[in-house]
Amino acid sequence: MRIYHALLLSALCGSVSVAVSAKTDSIGEHPINAEAFDNHIRPFLKEYCIQCHGPEKQKGERQFDALNYPISDDNALIDYQDILDLLNLGDMPPEDEVQPDPIEKQTVVDWLTAAVADAYHSKEITGGETVLRRLNHREYFNTISDLFQMDMSMFDPTEAFPGERMVEHQDNIGDTLVTSGYLLDQYFDAADRIVEKALPFQEKPEPQSWNFAGDFEQQSELNKRHMVAHKQRYLNIYEAPNTIRRFGAYAPLMAFKEGVPVGGYYKIRTLAEAVNRFHNFNPKKVTNDPEEPMRMRIIPGHKRFGAMHLPQPYAPDLATFELSDNGPSWYTTETWLDQGFSPRFIFLNGSMDIRPAFREVTNLLLANPDPSIPPEELEEDFMAVAIKHGVIPHIRIHEVEISGPYYEEWPTPTWKTIVGKGSFKPSQTRRIIEQFATRAYRRPVQKKEVNRLMAVVDARLDQGHSPFESMKDGLKAALCSPTFLYLEESPVAPEANQLSDYGIASRLSYFLWSSLPDEELLKLAKRNKLSNSTTLKTQVDRMLQDPRSDRFVSGFLDSWLTLRNLGDAPPDRKKFEAYYSDNLEEAMRTETELFTRNALNENLNIDNFIDSDFTFVNEALADLYGFEGIEGDGFQRIDLDDPRRGGLLGQASILTVTANGVDTSPVLRGVWLLENLLGTPPAPPPPDVEPLNPDIRGATTIRDQLAKHRATTACYECHRKIDPLGFALENFDPIGQWRTSYGDRVDIDASGELPSGESFQNVVEFKQALMNRKDAFARALTNKMLAYSLGRRIEIMDRPQIDELLAALEAEGNGLRDLVHLIVSSETFAKP
Amino acid sequence: MNRRVFLKSSFATLALPALESVAAAIPLKSTIAAQSQAPRRMVCVGNSFGMYPERFFPTETGPHYRMTPLLSPLEKHRNDFTVFSHLDHDIKGGHFSVHSFLSGVKMGDAKGMPEGNITVDQRAAEHVGAATRFPSMTVGSEDGLHGGCQMCWTRTGVRVPPIEGPREMFRKLFINENAKAQEEAADNFALRGTILDAVKDEAKSLERRLSGQDREKLDEYFTSVRDVETNLELDKRWSKVSKPEAPYAEPQDRSLVEDIPVLYDLIAIALKTDSTRVASFEMAGTGFDTSFFGLSSGYHSLSHHGQKPERIESLVEIEMYQMREFAIFLDKLKSIREPDSNGTLLDSTMVLFGSGMGNGNAHVNTDLPIILAGGGFKLGEHKRYPEERGKRVPLCNLYLSMLQQFGVETDTFGISTGTLRDLEVA
Repeated sequence: MRIYHALLLSALCGSVSVAVSAKTDSIGEHPINAEAFDNHIRPFLKEYCIQCHGPEKQKGERQFDALNYPISDDNALIDYQDILDLLNLGDMPPEDEVQPDPIEKQTVVDWLTAAVADAYHSKEITGGETVLRRLNHREYFNTISDLFQMDMSMFDPTEAFPGERMVEHQDNIGDTLVTSGYLLDQYFDAADRIVEKALPFQEKPEPQSWNFAGDFEQQSELNKRHMVAHKQRYLNIYEAPNTIRRFGAYAPLMAFKEGVPVGGYYKIRTLAEAVNRFHNFNPKKVTNDPEEPMRMRIIPGHKRFGAMHLPQPYAPDLATFELSDNGPSWYTTETWLDQGFSPRFIFLNGSMDIRPAFREVTNLLLANPDPSIPPEELEEDFMAVAIKHGVIPHIRIHEVEISGPYYEEWPTPTWKTIVGKGSFKPSQTRRIIEQFATRAYRRPVQKKEVNRLMAVVDARLDQGHSPFESMKDGLKAALCSPTFLYLEESPVAPEANQLSDYGIASRLSYFLWSSLPDEELLKLAKRNKLSNSTTLKTQVDRMLQDPRSDRFVSGFLDSWLTLRNLGDAPPDRKKFEAYYSDNLEEAMRTETELFTRNALNENLNIDNFIDSDFTFVNEALADLYGFEGIEGDGFQRIDLDDPRRGGLLGQASILTVTANGVDTSPVLRGVWLLENLLGTPPAPPPPDVEPLNPDIRGATTIRDQLAKHRATTACYECHRKIDPLGFALENFDPIGQWRTSYGDRVDIDASGELPSGESFQNVVEFKQALMNRKDAFARALTNKMLAYSLGRRIEIMDRPQIDELLAALEAEGNGLRDLVHLIVSSETFAKP
Repeated sequence: MNRRVFLKSSFATLALPALESVAAAIPLKSTIAAQSQAPRRMVCVGNSFGMYPERFFPTETGPHYRMTPLLSPLEKHRNDFTVFSHLDHDIKGGHFSVHSFLSGVKMGDAKGMPEGNITVDQRAAEHVGAATRFPSMTVGSEDGLHGGCQMCWTRTGVRVPPIEGPREMFRKLFINENAKAQEEAADNFALRGTILDAVKDEAKSLERRLSGQDREKLDEYFTSVRDVETNLELDKRWSKVSKPEAPYAEPQDRSLVEDIPVLYDLIAIALKTDSTRVASFEMAGTGFDTSFFGLSSGYHSLSHHGQKPERIESLVEIEMYQMREFAIFLDKLKSIREPDSNGTLLDSTMVLFGSGMGNGNAHVNTDLPIILAGGGFKLGEHKRYPEERGKRVPLCNLYLSMLQQFGVETDTFGISTGTLRDLEVA
């Protein structure tokens, strides 16, 4: 008995893990099967449970004597879960009854945990097949963008679509993506908007021009002050965008609220200047940094989003300028504007909170008035005084000229793609529809399919619409068709286990471009070349070279590293102002994307994700990390002498997305690491565990508060695997900045010990310990990428394929690009 | 584009009525005349961070409990509402489970439930069907921390997107499309009908090429098509009926916090004009601009007060605002006579106020703050249900009581074990 227990302990220490994504088929000495149940579980139940929960008595209406393995039905599963939960809580057996030996109990708990996880898992599996997968919203957006070749920077047809269902953070799992009547209605709406935007008119519109000088209206509290200060002669911007109060942060052209009459390129000329950049005011009150030139950006605005002086959903960078301090100059740009949008102006490095500054500026002036200022003017509204005489730093716009639309090409690329080189003729309708459907359905179309779409065209003609409008309605119908919305990953022949070439083309393009296959891929599919491994290799390289593969990087990172959640828990504005003033959210995301893009381009060893001696930063991020000498908004690769950064765990995006914007939790970070980097997610906590009621008044650290995890055996079993990983990262605050103490009082202790016995003092040593687990990391990454490429969960039957991939990957040097190649040329990739 | 606005007005807030009720879609007047009593109505209000428990729940039970600070704005309605302790859905997950507030079922578990994770308001809306222009109207925050409240769900697992501002609500309620817009709308109906026919054929053709799990998955598409067809029928019928006259000029959208009073007002009018009999109002934490209260910390940040007294005061200030506005809403309902009856709108409208979050600081979803007002129930006390595990009462039992009072013939709702004991009808 003793020896047996010792053996079991050592097996438990190293390998007890319940991976949701792969079946565990043994726990130490006890495989999950009927024999093990009969030999080890049934006797346990008999000794400690059946007396009160058996044929004679059924306390709490529970009876366990008929329990068996395999788990026969849902009720039996509930019983298993029940037993497991109460054993974990220590509530059963009751205190006054005989208690089992702790090690014996732990064995049973571990066995039950694995059995239950398997049972839940087997309810979900789809037998290694990708179930009919509809385009998710991200893929729909990209597909429309490529199908129509049009500017999408202020147009998102998916904006009203209901949120997607995720599975283990993945957004493209076929059997989980749901279609509903509501979504279908949204698809109709979207199709309408898309086609109307793409083909608004047949004749080239004549350019017009508009001029705005004076009588500038902004927001009501500013308008009255501007009237006093300069009779609304100027458009002024004071604050940075996305501040708390938005006081003079977005300067619209209210006289141009209706926006441009048609979508097209517009020339925008702005006469603007930086006013009083080199101020001498108290930098704590007037926070505009004199070291930096004032930067003005043009973004679009649309009245349908409400007030034009407030943030709106679309804020692409249409043009950015550094303003001269030597009086007004003209700044010119030519940019696309969708119909109904008008330009708005923002002050990128403006003040984060300008209101207090007005008082400061005016008070200073009143204390020492310039004799040349007429005294009655100093008695006006204090803000007006600050603006006119103060002078509070701001961007001053004198005049704006807009002209257009112009078109770089006519007909537009969209027109050429859909209709053709010349004008529209009704006789061409069928050809246009057929061509469009071929591209939209991602394969050659049958006559019947074209007929169905032409039936829509004909019906609309009958209803009195023009041939042009009716043709457009035919296009809309194609966009609502299931053949467009779903990826028809059909086999080469019914019941065959091999995807057709067109199926492979789509799977490839949605993997690496999140969009439809291009002409070259479709041509190769037509000639049945896509099952050839050399062709596949060449295509993968071509596709990774194409800028559309950036969508693979961001789509995959969103799922694998949960980066789509970045921004969900906005950090506290007071404590983390830099997050907003320095636009850190965008910067930290860019770092991780560039890092991954670079690893892909140069086929770097995937170990670099665990630890690396380089990363990518801009000035704002370098400031966050405490690095000197980096200037500007642009990103550059830097070598790291600092071993604390390096690898994903040193990157602010990871550290922010694993915190909640307010404080850090080692449990959250530990679980994230286990789930996403090591592929060994812990079992869920038992119900009714007393929740942690955070108390940040006292001097107790989070480590102290989590001490309870160590005090109870049942809790400890899981938490010894979770907590240490989180402790290692405690030196990083909720936005990834390094800290050595909590609130200047209590020093941070980032040490820990892994279940294997390896101990570490800090994150640097922790990363070294992680390097010893790089096989687990490789497996987790491969699982995720394969799942992403197939649009389904990874299941038991995939294990041999994964093993093969890992062996080949290691043989070739563990390069990230090689992993992509290996996945594409694998047998599984070619299976329906 | 007017036609889109018009269509969204019906569909987006439409729950999926049972197909039988399409046939039963009859104009307004005859519905009311056919009833011998006032129609039942329901309003559900929720936020995403809960209420600070120490200042919300009274100590004493029964009708003579001492008003707590957060309940004090409701003092004059003391006889018209009951506050409940220890009701919840026995669920974990913090922010990620807040969406189960009105259903008792997390979205991930919906597949295993016979009615999915349908919420109590949507279940009531199904019952109303097409008797009103809008089977239900949901207003408030579309988004928020970790998705926000996500308060209302249909039988098919679709989250009902809320109307986000007073302007849109106003337009839905009162603005009849002008003749041109009506023409455009009719044309849009025609286009949709034509496209629906085409895609149905397409789907049948696709179905023949699929097998097994793929075929089953395509079923979702067929169901979706049927749902769209049903709603198209309803849209067409209601498009011929005029909307009630607007009581005032079209309001502009300001911000969620500032617009709360207006939205409550529009809900009251929507009920009064019988434009709908089921309304929901969800207030998510992130849309809540705390600078309105002169606070610089965010709502989420304050809900994690960490026991710091100043932070608790700030949090309670935000919550007091919500309670005061709720009290004003009850005032309004009380001041409106129910036509063809002796009572007020409050007598025929059951109003639920609460949250899917029990304690924001600890992220627990147990012991939810729940208030029930009006609706013809016997109210006016603090009811405390058992705290001990094994004796707890499901919140869904309250919902079942509400549904039965609403007129729905059912014995279960969500994870209910029966109606709520000790809750009687007046």
